[in-house]
Formats: sequence, C-alpha cells, structure tokens
Amino acid sequence: MADKLKALWRKTFWAWSPESERESSEAIVRNFWLHWFPAKVARASMDWNYSFWLGTASAALLLILTVTGVMLMFFYVPSTERAYGSIKDLEYAVSFGRLLRNQHRWAAEGMVAVVYIHMARVFFTGAYRGTRAINWVVGVVLFLSTLFLSFTGYLLPWDQLAFWAITVGTSIAKQAPLVGPTVQFILLGGHEIGQQTLLRFYVLHVFFLPVFVWVLFGYHMWRVRKDGGLAAIERVRDARTMIPKTTPASKSYSLFGITPGTSVQVMSSTGLEESDQVFSSPNMSRRIALVFLVVFNITLLAALLFNAPLEGLANPSVTPNPAKAPWYFVWLQELVASTTVRIGGFTVSGALLGGILLPGFLLGVLTLWPWLDRSPLRTQGRWLAPERKRQNVTFAVATLLIIVLIMVGVYLRGPYWRIYWPGQARPETPRLY
Amino acid sequence: MADQKESFEAKDFGWMVAMSLLFFVLVAVGFWLEYSTDWGTYQRTFPGLLGHYGKVEEARNFRAGIRQIWIPQMGVTDRCVTCHLGYEWASVLPATIAEPLKPHPMNDWLAKHEFARFGCTPCHGGDGAATSVIGAHQGGRGWEDPMLSRALAARNGLTMNEMIQMRCNFCHRHDVATPGMEQINLAKQLFKKKKCLVCHVVEGRGGATGAELTYEGDRNPELLNFAHVRGERTMFNWNVQHLTQASVVSPGTQMPDFNFKPDESRALTLLLLSWRRLPYPPEYIPDPEVAAAAMQPSPTPTATPTPAATPPPH
Repeated sequence: MADKLKALWRKTFWAWSPESERESSEAIVRNFWLHWFPAKVARASMDWNYSFWLGTASAALLLILTVTGVMLMFFYVPSTERAYGSIKDLEYAVSFGRLLRNQHRWAAEGMVAVVYIHMARVFFTGAYRGTRAINWVVGVVLFLSTLFLSFTGYLLPWDQLAFWAITVGTSIAKQAPLVGPTVQFILLGGHEIGQQTLLRFYVLHVFFLPVFVWVLFGYHMWRVRKDGGLAAIERVRDARTMIPKTTPASKSYSLFGITPGTSVQVMSSTGLEESDQVFSSPNMSRRIALVFLVVFNITLLAALLFNAPLEGLANPSVTPNPAKAPWYFVWLQELVASTTVRIGGFTVSGALLGGILLPGFLLGVLTLWPWLDRSPLRTQGRWLAPERKRQNVTFAVATLLIIVLIMVGVYLRGPYWRIYWPGQARPETPRLY
Repeated sequence: MADQKESFEAKDFGWMVAMSLLFFVLVAVGFWLEYSTDWGTYQRTFPGLLGHYGKVEEARNFRAGIRQIWIPQMGVTDRCVTCHLGYEWASVLPATIAEPLKPHPMNDWLAKHEFARFGCTPCHGGDGAATSVIGAHQGGRGWEDPMLSRALAARNGLTMNEMIQMRCNFCHRHDVATPGMEQINLAKQLFKKKKCLVCHVVEGRGGATGAELTYEGDRNPELLNFAHVRGERTMFNWNVQHLTQASVVSPGTQMPDFNFKPDESRALTLLLLSWRRLPYPPEYIPDPEVAAAAMQPSPTPTATPTPAATPPPH
C-alpha cells in the first residue's frame, strides 16, 4: 500500500525519475534553478572592493519588494475610488501597514539606484567583454524593467504626487516620433489618466513586470555562471599565465624548435588554480545571506525613519505647482524644460529632443557599448584600467550630469519650474483657508 | 584546502552577528513605534474617566483599539472617535474635560444630524482616516481640507461655529434660509439683494458676464492672482477682498466694487466656498421647505409650509 501511494505520488509530481547516480547528478547540473552556484568560486569574486556585492544587493531588494508587495496586495484596491483610501488605511489602521508601505517604497527607490550603481561598477571594471556582452544587454533590460516597475508603482497610491508624476512621464513618452501618441494611449488606456490607467499600471506592476524581472534575473545569474563567473577572474587568469611555472630541470631535451630553451616552459593553466578558489558553501552562501541582511536592515531603518510620501487625493483639475516626474525621470523633465525654446509667440517643445532623442541615444550607446569598446581585453575585470580612461571618464561625467540634473529638478525647482536656491524663499503655495 | 579557514570567514561571521543583532533591534523599534500611538495614551485614560463619573459597567466593557464611524454612502471613514472618545457622553461627562476626551456639545441640530449618520468630517473637515493628531487635524502635505479649528477660523476673522456653517451649506445649499446658519443666511440674502445672478451663472441660471460660480469652492487656489491681495495667500482671503473691492484685486474686471462690510464679505465667501461638487447622496440633501418652515417666526408646526415666492435661487 505504502509503495503504491509512493508510486502514485511520484507519478503525480515527478515526470521523470533518475535511473542512476549519474543521471541524478546530471539532472542537477542541467537544471536551470539549481545551477546558479558552482561548487567553488574564485576568491577574487568574493572581494568586497571588486563588486561591492551590488548585484546581490539588487536581488535582495527585489526579494524584499516582492514579499512586501505581496503583503500590500492584500490591502490595496486598484480602483480610483478606493485606492487612495486603502493607502490611508495602510497608513493609519493596518497593523504595521505604514512600515510595510515605507519599506516597499524605499526599497523600490533604492533598487533603481543600486541597479544603476551595479551597472556603473560593471562599466568601470570593463566586465562586459566577450561572452559577458550578452549579460550586459540583459542587465540593461533589467535596469529598464526596474525603472518601469518603479514607475508603474508610482501611480498606485492615487494621490496628487502619483497622478501628476505619471501625467508628466507619459506626456514625455507621447513625444516619441510616430509611435508616441499610440504608446501613451496604450499606457493610459485612453487619452487621460483614469481607472483604466490605474488598472493597467496595477496589473503590470504586480504581475507582468515582476515575473519578467524574476525570470530575467534568473537568466542573468545563469549567464554569470556560464560566463565563468565575475570578470575579476580574468585578471587572475592573466596574472597566472604571465608567471612561468618553474619545473625542476631534471631532464634536458630539445623540442626541435617548437619552443626555445632546454625544458618545457610550463605556464600555469588558464583555468583557476585550486589556491584561487574557495567553496561556495559556506563562503558565498554566507556572504549572500549577509548582504541580504544588510540590505534588509537598511530598508527597514529607512522605513522606520522616513514616511513614504502621500499627498492629497488625485485631482485632475488641480495641478500641483510644480508637478514633477519621479526623481529617476526628473532629469528627463529637466532636459525637456531646458531644451524648450520660446521664440516670440512660438514654443519649440523640447520633449522630442530632451525626452526621447537624447535618452534614446544614451540608451542605445549603453546597450551596444560592449561592441563599441575597442580597448585591449586585458582591461577586463580591472577597476578603472588606464587603457579605458577616456570611456570611464565619459561614463562618469554623463552620470554626474544626470545626477546634477536630478538634483536641480528635485531640490531647486519650485513653482513655475523656476530655480530656487537653498535658503531662498519660495512663494507660499496658496491654500484654501 | 577545504579545512582551511578563509581569511574573510571570521570577518563575515562577525558582520553576520552584528547585522542580526541590528535586525532584532530594528524589529523591536518597529514594534515600539507600532504600539506607541497617539490614541493609545488617550484610550488608557478613558475607562478611568468613565468610571469616575459612575459608568462603571461601560468602563469595564471598554475595548482598546481603533474606532471609526463608517458611512460608505457619504464616503466617510471617521476615525476621529478613536481619540475623541467622550463625544457621545455629554449626558455623563462634564464639558470641562480637556480634549480629546471632551464630550461633543449637545447642540440643537445634533438631534437631526446623528453621529452615526453624519460622522465628524462632513461638518468639521480634516482627514477622518488618520489616527495621528497631526494627520487628522492638518492632513499631510497637499491635504486641501484641513479641520476647521478655532485657530483656523480666528485667522479668517470668524468663530469656529461660523466657519462650519460653510460645510452645513454643502447639503443645505438649496435652503433659502436655515435655522442656525446666520452667516450663510446673510450671504444668501446679500446674493439675492445684490443681484449676483445678473452677471454670474449658478446652477444654469444667470447672466454670462462673470465667471460661473456653481462649483466656486472647487477652484484651484493656485490659479488665483494674489498680486493685489493683502495678507495671507488663501482662497478665503482672495474672495473676501475681491468681493469688497474687485477693481483692486482684479484690475480691469467688470465686477463693481460692492464695498461690503467685513462680516458681509466673509459671509459671502463662506457661501461661495461651500459650492462644491460633493458625493453626498440625495437622502442627505434636506428639503428646502422644511428649513423655510422652521424659519417661520410663529411656532405653528401644523401649518402647511408656505412655498417660497420665488424658487430657491441656488
């Protein structure tokens, strides 16, 4: 009876059972999900100062966001009538609701930043050469997905901040040549933000985008493994091949011109030596657990210290002055505003240049960079290699400019999109009473 | 090799321990914040107060927790009573008790405006969903509808009672006059006397020279020109000054300077701001004739209400 039950269990839940030990081990090796960690990892990859474990931190944030997000889903109602009220309930009536929302909010904004810094790290270490180029492109797609995830989540509280940030964001998308209006129409589910938009953003935010990011993240990890690990090991490999291994000259014979000298010049193997590696378990698993813990603590601390913003109920007839896009898109808004030129009565909108062409160009160059980078291969896995100085400086300056634009947009722009320096009095926003 | 301790192993382990401890501390802080609420303090003192005034049974049955008056058809979720626990105990608790436990004064109109049917915020304003002192009274950033407190009313030269009459008129809009709403009654008289409808459209009636006023209270304060307004930049202040001297506040306007007395222009402002697009269902909108009858000086409740000579203007 027990055997029959067991057999039934196997038939129900296992399509295939290994016939031998070899098949069992192969099953694991071939499995996508069980294949992330190799038995051993290079000691160079464990170095804090090489990767800063930013990819792991991004993954930790994704996990935190998924868990807190699923919990928030039990309370949130994606309807224009109830959405704002359900956020108020979370803030004021649900046990730990405010903490939950705060952590979700700060983890989301943190993830945008950490994913970008992770990408910057990969750029500065030139870790996208050879087969790793594919993973670079996957990473760019993951970064865009993170932005879009954050953007779709931004609308859900249905407050003034959310409503007008999405208005600004989707208005920029509208400026794209040919497809712009269609893209905006599809995003909004109509010509203006309403119930359809909220529902679309909700479904994208809680299902399609997270599933997409998780699957792509799995592929991203699998590719790291297939590419042989972090690019830091290439540095170790290069160092290895450059040191000739001295073998005892016990015998001398000539190799008939194949190689000079009287003995075989044994270089070390291009593979990693045992002394370069450590066991993944427990070294790497412990380290990953540590990074998760650190990231969790930071987001929890932020959630305890700072409340997620929530303004008045969304009101299509009252535009806040100024209305700002989410901070990671504010630099685009800033570009749009500063490339908008007024000549007499005519206004040349900067939305196409600042909102579409320039970011599109940056994104295109970023995606194709592994194939545009002509620096010698030995620069890979090295921080700020001198041979890559020009591109590193360019990347840093571009990043810095974007940060400056974000800072200007977030902190200096006041009513009527004018610049207000810190300490400078801003005109008081008129109130009702 | 496998037996050998890695150089970073001890360091990682130390960090694990430190971060785990920090995690427990943060979780403890989270619990502490969750349970150190504004309302918890008040709720702990309230049963003692009830017991002190002889309501021992009620004091014993008091259950701590968030309380709310929920009126879905009005869109009201008022958690005010989580702190303002004495609100319906006016017959037991003296009015001298300090807020927030103070009982609600037994005004005449409370008989017709029961707490359970009207909640708190439809009259008082504020954020009913909030359970923190600041959140409930002032609302968060960008909250347009603060509680009509004494201080807020005083800033606008009114008493709280007068200020709240604006909110009474949310439902009593079509009354010609309503008992207890002196400010709004005065404003409605002035509105008729000064023939505002000659230039302004309200609810589809009136001349089109001036701006439509049907939903004047919903206007965006930011779209008003405050360049010629003295004092605070509020829609209230703008209206008060605009009604009195339109030519000063809006140079070039066709609106004459009515030179109202301050109390008149404030009353008219209350009326204008009360005209909002509101979600209140028909059963909450009173019959204007009931108010008209109640305003009759002779106390003859059996008399048939005299229909108003002219239909209520707005």
